[in-house]
Amino acid sequence: MALLETINVVKSFGGLTAINRVNFELEPGKIVSIIGPNGAGKTTLFNTLTGIYQPDQGQINFNGRSLLGLRPDQIAACGISRTFQNIRLFGEMSVIENILVGMHVHLRQSPVDILLRLPFFKREETDSEHNALALLHYVGLDGVGDELAKNLPYGAQRRLEIARALAAEPKLLLLDEPAAGMNPQETEEMTSLFRHIRDEKGITILLIEHDMRVVMNISEHICVMDYGEKIAEGTPAEIRADARVIEAYLGRGAVAGQHEEQLQ
Amino acid sequence: MRPLLAAINFRELLRPLGQLLLFSIGSTLVLSAIVLVLSLCLEQTAVGQHLHSRLSVSLYTYTLVNLPQVVIDGLTIGFVYAAIALGYTMVYGVLEFINFAHSEIFAVGAFVGVEILIALDKTGILRSASLGMAYAYLILAIVMGMAAAGALAVAVERIAYRPLRGAPRLVPLISAIGVSFLLQDVIRLTEGLTTGQFNRIMPTFGNFDRRLNMGRIALGDTSIALGISVKSIIVISAAVLMLVGLNYLVNATRIGKAIRAVAQDRPTASLMGINVNRIISLTFLVGGLLGGAAGVLYALKFTRIDPFVGFFPGLKAFTAAVLGGIGNLTGALLGGIVLGMLETFAGAYLGVFTMGAAGSEYKDIFAFSILILVLIFRPQGLMGNNVGQKA
Amino acid sequence: MSESIAKRFQDKLDHGVWPYLSVLVHIGLGTALVYIYPRSNLAFLVLISSLFSLYAFKTDRRFQLVAGALLALLIIPVIGVRNIFYLEVIFQISVFAALALGLNIVVGFAGLLDLGYVAFYAVGAYLWAFFGSQQYYVLPFAPGSQPSGLPFLLPGDAFYLFLFIAIIVAALTGILLGLPVLRLRGDYLAIVTLGFGEVIRVLANNLDKPLNITNGPQGITPIQRPTMPEWAVDSFNGLFGPLIGHPVSPADMYNLLFYLLALLVIMVIIRVTRRLDDSKIGRAWTAIREDETAAIAMGIPLVRMKLAAFAVGASFAGVMGVLLAASRTFISPESFSFMQSIGVLSMVILGGTGSIPGVILGAAVVTILNLQVLQGFSLYLSELRQSEAIIPLINFAWKDLSTQLDPAKYQRLLFGLILILMMIFRPKGLIPAQRRRRRLVADPTANK
Repeated sequence: MALLETINVVKSFGGLTAINRVNFELEPGKIVSIIGPNGAGKTTLFNTLTGIYQPDQGQINFNGRSLLGLRPDQIAACGISRTFQNIRLFGEMSVIENILVGMHVHLRQSPVDILLRLPFFKREETDSEHNALALLHYVGLDGVGDELAKNLPYGAQRRLEIARALAAEPKLLLLDEPAAGMNPQETEEMTSLFRHIRDEKGITILLIEHDMRVVMNISEHICVMDYGEKIAEGTPAEIRADARVIEAYLGRGAVAGQHEEQLQ
Repeated sequence: MRPLLAAINFRELLRPLGQLLLFSIGSTLVLSAIVLVLSLCLEQTAVGQHLHSRLSVSLYTYTLVNLPQVVIDGLTIGFVYAAIALGYTMVYGVLEFINFAHSEIFAVGAFVGVEILIALDKTGILRSASLGMAYAYLILAIVMGMAAAGALAVAVERIAYRPLRGAPRLVPLISAIGVSFLLQDVIRLTEGLTTGQFNRIMPTFGNFDRRLNMGRIALGDTSIALGISVKSIIVISAAVLMLVGLNYLVNATRIGKAIRAVAQDRPTASLMGINVNRIISLTFLVGGLLGGAAGVLYALKFTRIDPFVGFFPGLKAFTAAVLGGIGNLTGALLGGIVLGMLETFAGAYLGVFTMGAAGSEYKDIFAFSILILVLIFRPQGLMGNNVGQKA
Repeated sequence: MSESIAKRFQDKLDHGVWPYLSVLVHIGLGTALVYIYPRSNLAFLVLISSLFSLYAFKTDRRFQLVAGALLALLIIPVIGVRNIFYLEVIFQISVFAALALGLNIVVGFAGLLDLGYVAFYAVGAYLWAFFGSQQYYVLPFAPGSQPSGLPFLLPGDAFYLFLFIAIIVAALTGILLGLPVLRLRGDYLAIVTLGFGEVIRVLANNLDKPLNITNGPQGITPIQRPTMPEWAVDSFNGLFGPLIGHPVSPADMYNLLFYLLALLVIMVIIRVTRRLDDSKIGRAWTAIREDETAAIAMGIPLVRMKLAAFAVGASFAGVMGVLLAASRTFISPESFSFMQSIGVLSMVILGGTGSIPGVILGAAVVTILNLQVLQGFSLYLSELRQSEAIIPLINFAWKDLSTQLDPAKYQRLLFGLILILMMIFRPKGLIPAQRRRRRLVADPTANK
């Protein structure tokens, strides 16, 4: 059974249809990429999946239940976690606190526990702090736990955002351009981090990415969008050979294509 | 002369006039119908009997007799609100920021205008002035009020808002609240030092207090007096003039185009060679000018002003701007008129319809209830387009 | 050169016995000064600022507790009873500190600008004012027309119960207000809460008909206080009588009682605030303040957490309202104006949003400016006015100065200046909020 499926999802803003009848299935345990020229509707799809937008039409099912009508926080609690294209950390909070916020849905401390500092509260706080430190180590950010998130360098902020998303122990991780603005070495490290996340934690990963090396290297399945529609789907080899994809990128989306080449 | 005339875009002059007329007539008809139907429904209940025993007049007659005056009062205050609301809505349109101090800009305009007239009154020329000169003095007061308020608005932006541009949303808002409070006491201090008192009374001169009677309509044993005071005519026509002028400035001139461009997208506008800082100053200037004029008109209508005079009109004008759809000029007109009418109707009839349990003292919070309802059910306002919050 | 000397000096003050000595000297000096000059404002400032040096110097926690207790439970009561005005100032500081701490949760932690905060204070105050006075029996009478000799509804000692009831009622009011409006964007929320504050004030002013609930603009009086046992007065006199120099009246004891109650409430509030801040709830608030979209994507229910912030902030104000009503035995709508809300806001902004020591300092500074500096200035001006003095250069006789010009009434100027200057020059306040350091992160060897 698919972990996530969208059926005929439509989302438009005024006259502009940002996503048009997108059908899409995501198998559990896979790493899948969504690619497409700028403005193809990729981020809108993410926002629709995470409940920031409600679709105008269609169905979204996750893990056997419909996500329609759920608020973003409820969807997050169902097990979908995400990062943002333009990093959105809690800048004035420390690194470790950012991760603790990610654990919010799993913390069971009640107001009574908190106000009376009952043993359960203390235990949960210590445990979650241990877990947070472990997560920091996992994404390769040792020793910065007390820094303010806004003071981290760019690459570390990207890692922290991933650690924060992992803290929610999701079943599905949505990554929006996680390698944007990174140098080849950093990109390489990121890619292997994603593989680790999938292999060791069994988390399904859906990512939006412009960097074709990342996409082709890591994806088991690729979905191509253009003008709000899904125009192709398949393995990396199939996508590379697909005429419509080449047209979308080289024909009208030449700007995006050049951008990719520059990065390479 | 001909090319000049040709350059004037008459459509842009006529359009707001039509809108104003439409909004005024529309809200008059709707609200009158509502109170009349209500009065008919409540006629036979305890409400009608209560009124009858007190004034020995039927509820329906009472409602009808008062209606013309209520409508005129409502329109007068509605136009004042609309003129203030334009200041809020312009600044909001350009900076996405509630200029909390706009109510004090309004108050400063009122004080400058009134002080000039009081000074003229002391010399005696006001009382001996011919009718034409009386109007000239009034216009002088309005113009000076506008100038002072406009200059102040620009200065406030320069000192208290510009350094905070780009800071989190609440930072300039808090600064604006500070400016609002500061200005209230600065007015008080200035008045205290120079004149020794804070409450100022608009001198009586000219024929502004005269009432023009336009006949009576017989209604059974009583009759309805139709009439309007000269003041109300002045307030309404001055407001209409300003509203039309502003609409023209924004929609049919180069400067207006620049203002709209900055409102749309500040960085892009600056790339297109528009001096964003100057346009923002200009926006505050225009808002201030309108606010100042509204202040003097308000003083003309209500006679008495004090340093805190701006607070309620300011808040209501803000409500009007939100009601109409903040950032939208036509919306501000609509919101101002509707709010002024609603409030005046509520003030006039609430007491009768609730048998005195809740009267005009709730008039002021009436506007807030409307604000809350609008924000909950239609946050984009009556005329605002649905611009969702960016994720 | 001089800088390094200053630095060395500062260094020295942070080590060894020096910080302890400095604090003790400060407290001792303040106490002695106030004791010798019981009417001097300056002496009082020295004493009250010793609380700050107790906070600022790096001393042992146990020492801080003992010194703080000494100051709060011994020195201030004795000094305060000698000059009741000081006790009044400290009581007001405590009341405003509690309000500022409550508003701090809403504005500082959750980032929601609430401009009608005193509404919750009013709810608490009117709650006890209604149940703790004869108002229940005045219901059918118009203000001023009630017969004399009406009974009280509840005994005065019900006050203690109402401290708790007020928490619940104010919190519920906060939730009730918050439910419809907390979805709004920040600046709209500010205006709507302002409106709500005005609504409460207008209601307090006008709910004297059809049923006389609030007694209108005249306000409700007398409001009962809890009983003061005979032995408390006697034993206090026995213990401190010689130090104070005159026998203490029950009225003074009431001032002392409310001061101690306010102190207790503040201690509880600080405790609660600290604990909330350092938990899942506090982190959720900060996350919402920093980035709502990211917070909700992390599974934080926005509306529920914002409601929680409103409710907690409101409950602090509610408790203080009950305390105020009882201590004053009189309340009227005037005490709950928009200006009061802005006053509390300026305390939070001045001290530092989100910073507990900051907002307490802010409350102290603004209250002292209000009660001592502005009023002192007023007094000075009125003295000048009665004198024959003139301002030399412009030849202006002081006695011609308008009597309307009373600096004590220029609080708006003060609040306005604080808000503008802080926003432009120091938006994080005098004592910016410190991020808490996590125990494990700070010490990697812990728990190993």
